[in-house]
Amino acid sequence: MYILPKADVPRLLDAIAARYELFGPVVDPISGDTLFDRASAPSAVRLDAPIPVNTPKFSVFPHFERILTYRYDRASKALDIRREDLVRPKALVGVRSCDLTGLLCFDRFFLGQEFVDEVYRDHRRKMLIVANTCVRPFAQCFCVCTDSGPAAVEGFDVNLTDLGEAFLFETGSDKGRGLASELGLAPAGEHAARDRAAVVNRSIGLFDGQAVENKAWISRAVNRLTTGFVKPETWEYIGQQCFECGACSFVCPSCSCFNVQDAATQAGPTDRLRTWDSCSFEGYSRMAGEHNPRRPIEDRRNKRFFCKLSYSQSKKYLRPGCVGCGRCARVCPGDIGLPNVVTAIRREITEPKP
Amino acid sequence: MSYHSGVCNFCGTGCGHLLMVENGTVRGVFPSPGHPVSRGRLCVRGWHIHELLATEERLARPLRRGPNGFESVSWDEALEGAAAELRRFRPDEIGVWASPRASNEDVFTAVRLARAVLRTPHIDLLSDAWYSSTAEVLREGTGWPGSLGTLADVRAADFLFVVGTDLTRQNPIVASELHFAAKAGADLVTLSSRTTQMARLSRTHLRPAPGAKKAVLAAMLKLLLDEGLADPDFAAGRIEGTEAVRLSLRDVDLAGLEKAAGLTADGLRDLVRRLAKAERAMAFFSSGTTGLGRDTVALIYNLFLAAGKIGRPGCGLVPVVGISNLAGANDMGAAPGRLPGWRRLPDPAAEAAVRSAWGEAAAVTPGRRIDDLLRDPAKPLRALVVMDHDEEINLHAEALKKLDFVLYLGAYDNPFIEFAHVVLPAATYAETDGTYTNTERRIQLVRRKTEPRFEARPAWRILTGLAVRLGASWGYDSPEAVFADIARAVPMYAGADYARLEAGVGGLAWPVDAAHPRGTARYERSAADPAPRAVPLREPLAGTAPAAADYPFRLMAGKSYFYWHQNNIMKRTFIPLREYNALLLLYPQGLVDVHPDDAARLGLRDKRPVRVVSAAGTMTVQARVTSDVLPGMVYAPYFIGPMIEGFLRPEAGAVERGEDAVIPVRLEKV
Ligand code: SF4
Ligand code: SF4
Ligand code: SF4
Repeated sequence: MYILPKADVPRLLDAIAARYELFGPVVDPISGDTLFDRASAPSAVRLDAPIPVNTPKFSVFPHFERILTYRYDRASKALDIRREDLVRPKALVGVRSCDLTGLLCFDRFFLGQEFVDEVYRDHRRKMLIVANTCVRPFAQCFCVCTDSGPAAVEGFDVNLTDLGEAFLFETGSDKGRGLASELGLAPAGEHAARDRAAVVNRSIGLFDGQAVENKAWISRAVNRLTTGFVKPETWEYIGQQCFECGACSFVCPSCSCFNVQDAATQAGPTDRLRTWDSCSFEGYSRMAGEHNPRRPIEDRRNKRFFCKLSYSQSKKYLRPGCVGCGRCARVCPGDIGLPNVVTAIRREITEPKP
Repeated sequence: MSYHSGVCNFCGTGCGHLLMVENGTVRGVFPSPGHPVSRGRLCVRGWHIHELLATEERLARPLRRGPNGFESVSWDEALEGAAAELRRFRPDEIGVWASPRASNEDVFTAVRLARAVLRTPHIDLLSDAWYSSTAEVLREGTGWPGSLGTLADVRAADFLFVVGTDLTRQNPIVASELHFAAKAGADLVTLSSRTTQMARLSRTHLRPAPGAKKAVLAAMLKLLLDEGLADPDFAAGRIEGTEAVRLSLRDVDLAGLEKAAGLTADGLRDLVRRLAKAERAMAFFSSGTTGLGRDTVALIYNLFLAAGKIGRPGCGLVPVVGISNLAGANDMGAAPGRLPGWRRLPDPAAEAAVRSAWGEAAAVTPGRRIDDLLRDPAKPLRALVVMDHDEEINLHAEALKKLDFVLYLGAYDNPFIEFAHVVLPAATYAETDGTYTNTERRIQLVRRKTEPRFEARPAWRILTGLAVRLGASWGYDSPEAVFADIARAVPMYAGADYARLEAGVGGLAWPVDAAHPRGTARYERSAADPAPRAVPLREPLAGTAPAAADYPFRLMAGKSYFYWHQNNIMKRTFIPLREYNALLLLYPQGLVDVHPDDAARLGLRDKRPVRVVSAAGTMTVQARVTSDVLPGMVYAPYFIGPMIEGFLRPEAGAVERGEDAVIPVRLEKV
């Protein structure tokens, strides 16, 4: 562990930007929204900005991406396929622990199973990750209920913790250690670990008063979802309020559903596009021959929360899919969101039988 | 940064979004939590607007029809050619069809081109009629041609009344506000024959037989007066127009309504009590393509006026607009009977003002609707300028083919160009600056995010170029310059400019003027304004006619979520298009909803063919058996090819009556 004086943050960002394509929290000047975005300049990165509206997942899993282009010549039956190489590796700086946890779910999903997703692997290759401990939670947060924050414990090259005057610069890889020596950072004193723990504990203590939007005590819900004990009426109550917009999937750090689509271009070749998709859509699970295992909306809602909280899905991610960022509750026109679903499930357990 | 804030351009809600731009093309979108209307939400359409903006199915370069079909020409040739063609016609042989998706600047230049340069009064909007008549009702009552309320008041309302359309499909984020309000305790009431999601989310769902909405509203108004719940000024006739409204109510037949509409007088009485008691009450009804008839809107207005809810804090009537700038395009004067700023002709002062700004020769007489001209057997129309046709169900293909000259301006490839002689590629809303006015009068400035793709140019610039070639010199070198003229011509916009609109997120709601430099959230009575008046009905209240023996069912036509407005836009997306297709693949011949009891009686089964026969037309479609419709009712959510040819075209008149319209039909098992 090292100490990064606050005055040296620009040096850190410059050093990173020299070698990587730099992504981090930036603030839109018109709306005031924080976005995790490509930084136009290293100085645009705001480590003190609140949890971004979007998740850093777009940097490895873009909303809308050309994965290859092809040209097919009918006469000669010649097929010419091209893929663009990613020129520069990416650096994600200022990643919140919940979002980093989501990224680790992605790794396990796209890289850790039978098939490796090459497109994802290319985005992820040589990536530098600088995490940022939340010294206080935001209104929407409940990572303490999902074991994914407020401080990262794995998956980073560097983890920053704001100690007031300086950042504690914790390294998690050779890349991180390389950065520390390049910047000539002084090693942290012997109290560093204790100071860090104090910051994290203080942050956890603030949840009760500051993270007021959501409470999601998920353990009982995990059990009910896994065993299929949730009453159909509860799903119907939830399904009735769903506007089928897909937002909950799009903002979720661990949702990875996608669609693949070919589109002709005016220049000639055809683009093969990969776009975000969502299990809330009826067309998503439709199969040939009119079969759709999840046609009613309540079945589709049920699927999503199964994916976020069931034990069977957790085996894939080695943790629950929900990382407690609270975004799905904020974007939902139907006022559903995972915390409300957990509440609905818990209510059906605790309410006396009629 | 690759995300840039802007406003969704699909429906009239005007949600705030952040478009992601990479290498000159839009590649993603995110909702903007800082935006006052949508506060971090988008609907399924808004979440996929980048698919539309990224599409390569664009009109790429100017085209001119030659002997062998379309050929590419330069901009100069195209504009010169179009100008030369347009000069061949007498002014009143030319029509201009502006687009309700285009910015205020684009529409304003189209209006000016029509009236001042082409000198024709035939300037109209595609797919408008109901918004115009709705806003006229509100203006007749209050002087305000637009929403009397603001969406910001919804969550604090006590009573929310939704008439007709399924807002969860048409304007989902408006519906979301209503849903949040209802969960927090507001009394949400939906009046709709179908069980829609909006109805399911409501505390009370009034379910009249198709076509009986007007009768139910009249009955509510009568009960409000009979029960002594009305505002004292209204009850005592101190409000202008009250007497005429009262006279119309003589025809209310409560007993008949109970029988026909499936509602009880007691239920309605309870409802009007709840309305009267509410401190803050708002109503929402569709306007635009599936709007309500003029008298239906007048009844909603009179009901709220009588209940003392017009001009009171936290109250308001909101005509919900289905297309992004339908309201703004109307403010700009894209209507044959009006000049910019809702000045209905004849209006000597407004005529003089337009003449002095646009030249003595400007056409300031009332024109005719383009639909109407196309239908006229005398064929008075010979040339047409069309902006971004929405592929509404095209009921005029034959007449369009016979026109001598059609100029088409648009961003996306569109079957309408089959009728065109010159095609000009226009920029999308993300490729130029422009303002859009949403359903609650909020004027929002949307900045350019990318350069126009291919050879496209912004519509305001194309129209200015055309005007120059026809001898005018407007001097518009930017949308901002056009807006400065808008502020001069449209009194409600008088105090607005780009700097002020951009000073905060979400723009300003009109009127923006010296008295209201920060805009005006809602219509409120003040000493300075004349008191609101009652709006008399134009037609007698007819009872719901009993169904004829030959045609015992009542068919209502609707619009579906994904194949939204039957338009050319959803087809350029992937996910919304797939969702529409999911239904179409189940019902490839098109569908009508039939109640299970009727289906059982007639031997109809889900997905099996059924013949729908009206006095004028016939179609064979598949039945979707659902209790979302009432017995005796048939609902067609959308129309596809053969349904249009065989059924809709002959019934065009009925469909144009909008959401109030019902078509008597019979169902035959095939
Ligand atoms: S959910 Fe936890 S880790 Fe994520 S931003 Fe909030 S406090 Fe930080
Ligand atoms: S965000 Fe809400 S309304 Fe949208 S799909 Fe998810 S649960 Fe449904
Ligand atoms: S409600 Fe309308 S403006 Fe909002 S996201 Fe949907 S289409 Fe766009």
